[in-house]
Parts: sequence; structure tokens; C-alpha cells
Amino acid sequence: MTISTFDHDVLVVGAGLSGLRVAIELSEKFDVAIVTKVHPLRSHSVSAQGGINASLGEDDSWEAHAFDTVKGSDYLADQDVVEILAKEAPRAVIENECWGTAFSRTDDGKIAQRPFGGAAFPRTCYAADRTGHNLLHTTFEQTLRKGIKFYNEWYVTSLVKSKNRICGLTALEIATGEVHGFTAKAVVLATGGFGRVYGHSTNALINTGDGCALALRVGAPLKDMEFVQFHPTCLFGSSILITEGARGEGGYLVNANGERFMDKYAPEKMELAPRDIVARAIRTEVLEGRGFENEYVHLDLRHLRKEKILERLPGIREICINFAGVDPIDEPIPVQPAQHYSMGGVHTDCFGVTPVKGLFAVGETSCMSVHGANRLGGNSLLETLVFGRIVGKKAGEYTESVEQPDSSYVGQQTFEMRERLQKLLLHEGGNSPVDIRETMGQTMDVLVGVYRKSDALEAALKMIRELKKRFENVSVGRSDEKFNYALVRTLELENMLELAEVITMGALMRRESRGAHWRLDYPERDDTNFLKHSLFTKVEDYIRTELIDVNLGKFEVKERTY
Amino acid sequence: MMFRIARSREGGSISHYDLYKVDIKKGMTVLDALFQIQDRMDPSLSFRYSCRGAVCGSCSILINKEPRLACRTQIADVRKSDMKLKHFAAISETPPGWNPDVEILVEPLPNMPILKDLVVDMTKFYNALESLKLWSDTEDGDTPRTQSPDDRKRIKRYVNCILCALCFGSCPVNAEKEEYIGPAALAKAWRFHEDSRTPDPDRYLKDASKPEGTPLCDLVMNCVKVCPKDVAPGGAIRKLKNP
Repeated sequence: MTISTFDHDVLVVGAGLSGLRVAIELSEKFDVAIVTKVHPLRSHSVSAQGGINASLGEDDSWEAHAFDTVKGSDYLADQDVVEILAKEAPRAVIENECWGTAFSRTDDGKIAQRPFGGAAFPRTCYAADRTGHNLLHTTFEQTLRKGIKFYNEWYVTSLVKSKNRICGLTALEIATGEVHGFTAKAVVLATGGFGRVYGHSTNALINTGDGCALALRVGAPLKDMEFVQFHPTCLFGSSILITEGARGEGGYLVNANGERFMDKYAPEKMELAPRDIVARAIRTEVLEGRGFENEYVHLDLRHLRKEKILERLPGIREICINFAGVDPIDEPIPVQPAQHYSMGGVHTDCFGVTPVKGLFAVGETSCMSVHGANRLGGNSLLETLVFGRIVGKKAGEYTESVEQPDSSYVGQQTFEMRERLQKLLLHEGGNSPVDIRETMGQTMDVLVGVYRKSDALEAALKMIRELKKRFENVSVGRSDEKFNYALVRTLELENMLELAEVITMGALMRRESRGAHWRLDYPERDDTNFLKHSLFTKVEDYIRTELIDVNLGKFEVKERTY
Repeated sequence: MMFRIARSREGGSISHYDLYKVDIKKGMTVLDALFQIQDRMDPSLSFRYSCRGAVCGSCSILINKEPRLACRTQIADVRKSDMKLKHFAAISETPPGWNPDVEILVEPLPNMPILKDLVVDMTKFYNALESLKLWSDTEDGDTPRTQSPDDRKRIKRYVNCILCALCFGSCPVNAEKEEYIGPAALAKAWRFHEDSRTPDPDRYLKDASKPEGTPLCDLVMNCVKVCPKDVAPGGAIRKLKNP
């Protein structure tokens, strides 16, 4: 029996901005390869619209950026990590500009910056409302320039660990249906967020939290998983994102009575309060009967006029026309909150190092924690590029310091994974993954959403555990070996069920309201007991939870008002 | 609504068409219909997908003989659409039995080898990015370059390209000449040529003018008609031919 294995120094899982930036950093000195379940340009970074923060302005400073980020995080972000983010931001933006990103410009040719939620300055650099698209295409071009090796359309099925370190991974080649092993000294997880745990999400359909689930299974802890960002303005129906930039450019939020209601919730910042606050405001308006069709409110851009909409928000206009039949030049946009971002993720330090030797995580997959309880708009693209570089460097240092791992662990686990998938494919007459996925999405939407309370969370936890049981008897259905997406989606579902359970456990355990996590039964922030990160570790067949300290710093913990 | 979907379990060519009856709701897209089929009727149906919001360019297929993004195509709008494309075999020859009044026809994007059902081999399309070296050669620096809003405007349309390959799949030249680089890569070459920040714009011009590049384009302009992002690759190629 022979099972082919591939050998590299470092494997990066995921080819969004984080993964690409890590690989670029490593490519000069190391044999690095990217394993990704979609072609890099199909990664979710491409969907980011509004922009990337950097204190380029003369009146602005990294300290102001850091303060806004820490306050936005409801003081849960680790301030040492935020400092790195804010200090390195101009460098990351300039680097990408030099690589060719077509940023929008001011009249004197500088990179244009727009106001964004929770920010004291217009700090968000943008390329119209297609910033992620521009950054991703540019960064991908540079990986081609550097000749980086890609395994496109390979789905990682497990990480391989010896007693004390990561040795590689196993992956399904989607094109053939074959499982192969990969040996590497280090593995960097850069698989993005887990938005699709929710039924209503702005995320791409591929955002299933694979990296977090892979990490959890090899004993790496997850952190702050209960902090799920709900973006306030998502297109009613499809939940496609309508950028915060629309409000940054001056858009109004209006309820069914025609009132600009944000004055009740954030009198100073109005529509440009941070996302958690605006999302709750919209939900409250709808719950109290001032929504349209009891579902949504209006985002009105009409007063910005045609020229500005065409210049600054062309993508938004296109989305509204194509997916809602609404032209924002003439009509308000129907919007409602939907899951958008995962503040939680794989527990790492500010270098992306996890407690499992040889395993790193970066970007939305990781929780360093730079966003704390609520991420500010414009900071996620920034996180990918700043920490992609830093984590790449660190993974390189690690790679130089260790021997090649024993590939027999990889061979053995590849053999086992093959058997497992074959058994799964041969199992007929079991439960439908589709039903399980839909029930999971509805459960999370309704019971673990913007507003949470203990009885709902307990009901959710019970349902998710029931779904996990049902999954044990799941049938993928009859298909072919080649491009078996029904199989891939079933494996993704398995990952999401793990994460749904952890998110809900975290939400139940955190008996306070902070940032994006709002408990109706505990509506106050409780710094005495919960100015802490939550940590979730898989120990045999249960999840151990604990609280660890936040790295506080120069910004004093205060009440958070806007 | 009935869907008639091209199948190819082994790849290579379309082996047969399967009919599925899809339950339609208001606002539903062709991508939604494909998922309904995979989820509820036939897990063996393969197609690519990711963002479902017309920005990632994964789900390029042929819908009623027109190259489109499945996620951006409302089922309700399919029948009344007419892109007025110049015909070539893959988009003019219809399968026997297809009744366009009651069925939506879904097939893989033409001009690329079929790998499985609606999944095609895009290697050649992607390889053009490398053979033309479609990246910026600028070295890392500490200061951002300036670019006037007017200069940025000259590349605006071209940087919107999502590399979905709909243009490649719609081009009669790509259908005939395997060596043709195709519209998207050439438009991208023009994007770098036109960028005021590019240190050596002529390099892109030279590479694009290779025998397998602009000389093969007949300015049919199907690429302009199918482009979901208004990039108008054909316009860029016209300029590349007469810079």
C-alpha cells in the first residue's frame, strides 16, 4: 500500500488575504505552499467593501486609531496587539499601494480616506466600495510574481499531530476525491471566519470555520467565540453586505415612521456608531413595531445624489439592483442585521502562535485578540495584512529551529482519513445533512443572535447537541468521486456544528453584555467578573471552558458611549 | 420551473441532460436553484460557488445559452434576456428536446475542458496571468505613490475585473483557437499599461501583442456584452491594438 505525501516546510491553509500575505513573507527563504478549498480569487476577502484603516492623516495618529479600536472592542481587545495593528497600519497600506492596489484618491493624489463607524478621524482607505476585491487581486498577483505553490481546490480534512508537535495535514483533492497527506514543519491556519454557522450571514458560502474546527480537534483552544458581529446593514432577503461606507458617505437609517432613529441610541455618532450598537438599534426598532414588514429598516442614500453614489458606492448600487431590484439613487435600501464577522477564533499570541507546537493562526481564523468584543469596520482587512506579515516571519523562525517531522504520522492518518471518508460515503439511508444544516442556521439566528438570554441559549445548546447526534448517522447521498461538493459540504457542516456548540456555550457562560454579545438577562457590562477572554479546549469528548486575563494597557477601561 | 442541466460524470464532454423540477420563490437566483437540486434531489450535481454576491467569479456557467454568473441571474429574468451575442457552436446549437418556453437550460461555460458537470478546467485561463506577468513590478517602498483622480479613472473600469472568465467562455475566437490568451488577460495587460504608477508600461503592451494575444482578437465584442462588471475587455483590446 502506498499513499503519496507531499512535503513542504510550511503549509498555509486558506488563500484569502491573510494566507497570501503569510506565504509572501515566507516565500523568499522557505518552501511554502498554500492549500485552499477554492481558487484564491474566490476567497471571502474579495467581498470586503468599505476599506482598510490606517492613520495616514496629518491630524490622525496610531494612538487615536488604537484608542478607537480598544473602545470599539468594549475594552476586551488585548492592548499590546492593538498597538501593533495601529502602528503597522500605514506600512501595510503603503505596501499594498506599492504592489499596485488602485486606491481611490483625493484631489491632490493621496490615498482617499472615508469616515467609518467608531472612528474619530476619516481613517478608512478605500478603493471605491470594492476594497477587498482590489487588495486580494493585487496580493494574489504578487504571489504569482513570487511563484508561490498553490494546491487549489483541496479541502483540508485534518491536522496531523505527533505527541508534541504538528507534522502536517491530510486533505481531500476535490477534483479527484482522493485523500493525500502533507508533511510540514509548520501549519498556518488562515481559513477566515465561520459565518455560515448562522442562516443569515453576509459571508460567502465557503465561510464554515474549517480552521477553527481543525485546531479544536488537535487540542488548540478557541477564544472569545461568543463574540459574533452582526452587521447592521445587510440587504433584506439575501443578507448581502451593504458597506458601512454607505453610512460613512452620509447615508441615513430610517424607520417605518420616517424617523432617523439613531439619535436615540448614539446621539453623537448617529449612523456612525460602531456596528454592535447600530445592529441593536435596528433590531429594537423592528421589535418595537417601527420596522417595515416587521423585518427591516431603510438605508437612505438618495440625498447623496447620483454622482456621489456612482463614484463612491458603485458596487452597492449594483448589488441593490441585481439582488433587490432597488436603485439606491431613487429608492431607499431595505436592510437588516445579519451575521458578519467572527471576533473569536483560534487562541494565539500576537505572533499567531497557538499552544500547539508548529500550529499558527492568522486573520479572522485567529483571536489574538485585536477586536475584543466588537470589531471596528476597516480593521479586518488591516488585520490580514499586518499580521500576515508578522505571523509569516514567526512561522519562518520556528521552521528554522526544528527538524523535519516524522512523516509516518501523516501516512497513518491519511490512511485512516481515507477509510473514514469511504465509510461516510457508503453509509446510506441516514440523516440528511441539509436538514441538519438548515436547523443549525435557524437555531443560531433565532436563539444565539443579536439579543440573547439564558433560556434561549440553553434551548439552542440542547438543539445543537441533538444535531451533533443526528450527524453521527448522516448520509451524504449517492454521488461521484470527482468534485463531490455534497461531501465537502457535509464535512463543513461537521465543523460548523462543533463551532455552534462552542459559540453557544460561550454565550451562556458570559453573564454580561459587552460589545456584540448582548444578554437581555444581564444587560450590564461586568468588568469584575468578565473583563476576561473565554477559552475553550477540547479534552477527550468534552469542551473545557475557562477565563483568562485581558492584556490591558494605557487606555483605561471606561463606560462606552457614542 | 424545469431545469435542464448538462451532465458529465466523467468529464470531457456533455454526456446527457438531466431534468429537475425546482420550487421557485420570489427573488431566487439560478445558483439558488442549483443548490436546491444538489440539496434536495441530486447530490451528485457539481458546480462551483463561493460568494453568492457576484464578486468572487466562481459560478460562471451557460444559462439558456448565455454566459452568466449563476448567483447574479434571477430565474424570473432568464427567459426575457437577450445579450445579442455573435453565435458559435457552443452557444447556437441547442440540445434536442429543450423547450425554452418551460425549461431553463444550464450548461458548463464553453471554451474550457469539462471536468465534471458544470465544473470546467480553467488552467489555461489562469495561466495567462503568469505568461503575461500580469502583476506590478514595483519594489516595496516606504511612501505611497500619488495618483490623480483622473489617472485613477483611466484604470477604474479594468480593475473591476473579477476574472470570472465569462468573456473567455463567450469568445468565438477562444472557441476556435486554443492558443488565444483571451479577453480578460488582455484587458488586465491594458490596466497595467494605463496605470500612471507603472514603471515600464511598454512591457505589458509588448507581451499582449504576442501572436497568441491581441492579433487573434477579431473585435467580436461578445466579451463586452457578457461582462458582469462592465469591464469591456474588447474596448481595452481595441486600444492595445492601436495604443
